[in-house]
Amino acid sequence: MNLARRKVLQLIGLLGAPTAFLLVFFFGPLLIMLVYSFLTPGIYGGVDWVFSHLNYGRILGWADTRYEKFDPVFLSIFLRSLRLAALTVVTSLLVSYPAAFWISRMSPGRRDFAIFLVTLPFFVSLIVRLFAWVLILRPTGFLNQGLMGTGLTSEPIEFLYTDFAVVLGMTYVFIPFMFLPLYGSIEKLDMAQLEASADLGATRIQTFRKVILPATLPGIIGGSIITFIPALGNFIVPSVLGGAKVLMIGNLIEQQFLSARNWPFGSALAMMVMTAVLVLLVVQLRLARRGGA
Amino acid sequence: MTRKSLALTTTLLLLPLTAQAEGTLSLYNWGDYINPAVLEKFTEETGIEVTLDSYGSNEEMLAKIQAGATGYDIVFPSVHMHDILYQLGLLAKTDIGSKPGFENIDPQFVRAKTDPDAAYCLPYAWGNVGIVYNKALAGDIEGWEDFFALGKAGQKITLLDDLRETIGIGLIMDGKSVNSTDPAEVEAAADYIISNLDGVAAFTYDSVPQVISGDVAAAHWYVGANLYVSENPDTIGYVIPKEGATMYQEDICVLASAPNKENAVKFMEFYLKPEIAALNVEQQMNGTPNIPAQKLIPVEIADNATIYPDQAVMDKLQIFEDLGRDLQLYNSEWTRIKTAQ
Repeated sequence: MNLARRKVLQLIGLLGAPTAFLLVFFFGPLLIMLVYSFLTPGIYGGVDWVFSHLNYGRILGWADTRYEKFDPVFLSIFLRSLRLAALTVVTSLLVSYPAAFWISRMSPGRRDFAIFLVTLPFFVSLIVRLFAWVLILRPTGFLNQGLMGTGLTSEPIEFLYTDFAVVLGMTYVFIPFMFLPLYGSIEKLDMAQLEASADLGATRIQTFRKVILPATLPGIIGGSIITFIPALGNFIVPSVLGGAKVLMIGNLIEQQFLSARNWPFGSALAMMVMTAVLVLLVVQLRLARRGGA
Repeated sequence: MTRKSLALTTTLLLLPLTAQAEGTLSLYNWGDYINPAVLEKFTEETGIEVTLDSYGSNEEMLAKIQAGATGYDIVFPSVHMHDILYQLGLLAKTDIGSKPGFENIDPQFVRAKTDPDAAYCLPYAWGNVGIVYNKALAGDIEGWEDFFALGKAGQKITLLDDLRETIGIGLIMDGKSVNSTDPAEVEAAADYIISNLDGVAAFTYDSVPQVISGDVAAAHWYVGANLYVSENPDTIGYVIPKEGATMYQEDICVLASAPNKENAVKFMEFYLKPEIAALNVEQQMNGTPNIPAQKLIPVEIADNATIYPDQAVMDKLQIFEDLGRDLQLYNSEWTRIKTAQ
């Protein structure tokens, strides 16, 4: 057996398992959803194998039958989800960036402990943590009691069941996703470069813009993407903290698959989310390439 | 670990297996929808080990069963879902309707159109969907008009996150059937809800704690709220709206894919006993179709007109039927309601 052939076999051996995994568990389901999105809903869930383009027509504007009517509301829910997910990215970044700096300067022992604390929430069920937020945010909850107790407000403020509660809840849930990639790039930051920048007369702001920001940009982009994608499709947080009134695209999709028994329409909506995520990844690749050049 | 203690642990691990000699029974039920004491008693009498999994809606259960979830013996669908499961061929025949003891069941509760002789399922429990309210905040409200007036007056109210229940209120207020398939009627019902969204803080099932704490003045909720009313009689109350309301009924059904069909039928027969049905009502505080059982339940439940209403009120309660494809009419209107604010 010659060397080249052995290399090829080795490569197949190494990449075979992950490729098969992706084919079965990623492309397979994706393909099913794609096909379903062009079918007619079965009366009791599932699909009837009759071609239909009306699932997309309902979203994009050409459907007008008894059951499938175009409604701009679907696009507006999608835009709202994009907005809330983007807001979540910004707020998690604002919290995680300074925190990552702070933790990266700690002594090794304390640093490991701090990172452990960041991941600690994963040990408790998400639902339980979100209901704890309900107790904090509701009108008679801890936050309002505290505010009124200190005399800052006289009436309870509406926190629960608002966009604010949804963004707060998603920020809380996704901070670890933002923090870990950020920490990875901030920890690698060369302190000597910062000193050099200061020695050469740069102000603190200039140092941040010209040295720190470019060096940590990969972490910022990575963290933002990995936060944005699950935030866009999230349906638990809007359902618990938004009172199912702050409807996001994830809630709409869940509704199609469960209570509304319209799998093809749910698939079409999911394809729309998928497209948005793909566009985002392409943009990220471009940005990363420009950063690397 | 020493070898001896290892051997001991192994013996302990094997113990539950020997207790299962009579076999097992796997129930798939709504959350908190059966008195655990009923299951304990069943195991005590028959030696059959019972496991219990729960679901949050008929559709969730159907989707899981359709997706091929196996291992469950018994499910507790609502009547319209009982019909759907039958039509999809997912139910096993049990002939429960011709078993001794079935004469205990009030015939008006054998409701499923596809199962007129109870050859498949056993009527389990029923109740109505009304309003649970905070007495200090809501006063003595009597119906949907008072309920929505609270919202208009700046109080907070919540509706169920259920498309048919919530649009159903609009249909009831318009004097229509909650099973309407007329697009104009469904649209008008949704408009009624949309015009009353002031003060609707959320669409949620988790409202009772908030009614008790006073965060919400009143909530669209199930008759099971009586359980909480009995614990907080001075704080909250439950009412069947005078304009009319919906009712629900679940049946005990055996799945065609059930691995333990014999045990499942044994459980149905066990549940025909009046004292068992009464034991369940004692904790669940809902209605039982078992007539002799109604004599055995605590008097404060039997005399509670919101749990066992008189015939005049019963006649105003509507039950959901399966709408087939027309469910999509409700689906679109529901999205409109959810995004109206």
